[in-house]
Amino acid sequence: MKAATDLQTVVEMTRSIPCAPAILPKLLKLAEGSSADIGELEMLISLDTGLATSVIRTANSAFFASAQRCDNIADAILRLGSKVLYRLAATTLTGRWLVHPVRGYGWEPGDLCRHSLCVAICAETFARSMRLADASTAYTAGLIHDLGKFALAYANFSALDDIASRVPDEFATWQEAELAVLGFDSAQVTKALLENWGFPQMFISVGFHYPSPSGAPEADRALVTLIHAAKHVATQLGYGVGVDGFYYEPDEAALREAGFSEAEMDAAVPEIVSTIQRFISPRGEINFA
Amino acid sequence: MTASPGAFSDSTRTIIVGVADYKISTDPMTAISTFALGSCLGVTFYDERRQIGGLLHAMLPTANLHEGRKIREAMFLDTGIPKILTAMVRAGAKKSDLRCKVFGGAQLMSTDSFFRIGSKNIDMFYRLSQELDLDVVAWEVSGRVNRTIRLDNQSGDVVVKVPSKPEFIR
Repeated sequence: MKAATDLQTVVEMTRSIPCAPAILPKLLKLAEGSSADIGELEMLISLDTGLATSVIRTANSAFFASAQRCDNIADAILRLGSKVLYRLAATTLTGRWLVHPVRGYGWEPGDLCRHSLCVAICAETFARSMRLADASTAYTAGLIHDLGKFALAYANFSALDDIASRVPDEFATWQEAELAVLGFDSAQVTKALLENWGFPQMFISVGFHYPSPSGAPEADRALVTLIHAAKHVATQLGYGVGVDGFYYEPDEAALREAGFSEAEMDAAVPEIVSTIQRFISPRGEINFA
Repeated sequence: MTASPGAFSDSTRTIIVGVADYKISTDPMTAISTFALGSCLGVTFYDERRQIGGLLHAMLPTANLHEGRKIREAMFLDTGIPKILTAMVRAGAKKSDLRCKVFGGAQLMSTDSFFRIGSKNIDMFYRLSQELDLDVVAWEVSGRVNRTIRLDNQSGDVVVKVPSKPEFIR
């Protein structure tokens, strides 16, 4: 595969990857409404065979199954409800995209997917306990927060090796090294991808500002800070963390302003670990459904 | 062990330890492994004479903050280490013959102070190692790296893997 050299090429190359989560913004819009149009949801889900299969399989799982078997998408949508459906779609679509084998960041296959899932679960847990954002929104924001890194790795950026070799001697954070070596950073790539796919502004803010939430627009700052906190905890948990993982600076001012404390984070860890272990086995296998 | 780090025999069975868990093996033809320690600590114990090994993957230093709640003892160092030591002795190991190695505890920049699990874990392990009189023969902790470890139950060697680097033995 040829190597990309600029931001626009990275975005173009990434668009060609199968299974991109491009229908996710449409699903989000439909599922967040109180009276979601079942017909429209059904049509959208039917566009993606893998997602349609997951929806029906989950509707028939031990947790959701009733006496009557569910064998079509419309019934499955009714049984699952919009929140579960959206969570399932977000995890399936983003996760499937993120498991493409890529080179870079010292990742093993599936590592970014494991890490993103871990950030999503931390975000969902904090959203509930801190009431900073809707839990489903926080979960999705966690899944997509670092798509730019995946795009850079997919675009076969040989400069990633250069960045790895110059951190930490020349640069304190991975982001600083990206800016110096590439001329742009992975957060800009995430922003460009999410804009390209038509994601709502708050997700674009998360992708671009999560490394330093103090700089986020006021309207989105709570969600951005939530993802920053989730990333901080998820990184320390270790799941799927690559060579870049520990080279960042926590935005302590933003965390404190949002009400995060060490005690709050510490107390949440047991619940977070239990939830993660429902989705990621000790061997690292990911269970999306 | 003189062979290359990855050179486990084909007949070696690998037992995987998840976060907040521990495993023990009395079979020399096993390896005990845990993935991606991050800021958690992976603590191995090995009785060379009896070829009994154990590995704990603990996430947090102390269960004190979670008093009154149902806890998983292996999640915390101060409850997990006594737990695995008791289990190892019950499995036939002799405490005075146990050699201990500790891995993980990755940290961010040294100036950062917010929610530093890595350094708190290392401090707690040091304290416990003194209190429990552990014979700690290897410290592979701190730094900004995510470690995966594998204990060879035939030799007590621990193979360490970090992203983008070759494996090495401690």
